Amino acid sequence: MRKPIHITTPWPTQEEMARRFRIPKARQRELQALVDEFKAKLSPLEEPPVTLVEPEKRRKRASAA
Amino acid sequence: MPPPPDPKAVFLNVPYDEEFHSLYIAYIVGLFQLGLVPHLASEIPGGDRRLDRISKLIQSCRYSIHDLSRVEVSVAPTAVPRFNMPLELGMTITWANLHPGLHTWFVWESELHRLQRSASDLNGTDPYIHNGTAEGVLRELCNAFRRDRMPSVPRMLEDFHFVDNNLNAILYKYGTRNPYDRSVFMELSWLSKTLADLTRQTGPIA
Repeated sequence: MRKPIHITTPWPTQEEMARRFRIPKARQRELQALVDEFKAKLSPLEEPPVTLVEPEKRRKRASAA
Repeated sequence: MPPPPDPKAVFLNVPYDEEFHSLYIAYIVGLFQLGLVPHLASEIPGGDRRLDRISKLIQSCRYSIHDLSRVEVSVAPTAVPRFNMPLELGMTITWANLHPGLHTWFVWESELHRLQRSASDLNGTDPYIHNGTAEGVLRELCNAFRRDRMPSVPRMLEDFHFVDNNLNAILYKYGTRNPYDRSVFMELSWLSKTLADLTRQTGPIA
């Protein structure tokens, strides 16, 4: 197996690809929205969810201490 | 000396089969994730003879991938072997030998040792074995190419599933059942490129 080729060329730009693929602006926006929605669902939560303690319980805990 | 090829361009020599469409999408998604741009013979507008157009396209690309996994005799009563992929590989090898440094070609197969039976003249060439799966295609793309900030194969696979799931909607939009149709290829490419941009921006790469 040959060694992998290391790609160092710049990433394809939006303008470059828009010229090449000739996707209308409106369709570009539709596809972008589709992708954004998909990626938002995929993103893992970075922090554990915060557990809210009701003010009443908080006061009771403080007085018991 | 011929003009330098586009350093990001990859000519995809794949069978235009219905059964192959998942692997075809995996190639498109995977190449964009690596910052490369796939090119397909069907994308070239008509005019010249088809073979001349393919030849020009090969010459304009820095790399080419030749998937020989479906070089086989068709099951139809008038069975004929499929020669398009080996023909285009032969054209590419000639071009690369005439102009070393301008073009690098790769052979992809589904099974180990199958190439030795189908094209023994290629002995000494290590094919990339994708096992007939999209995951295999993505894995082997990462074996063939590396770049900084490249995503992991599982992350690429998620993007592949997204594009694959949207294929029917794209086919419907263009009123075709052919995923290799020029307009469909352009849209699949755009979708894959948009995904790759976002994957890169949001990281992480693991």
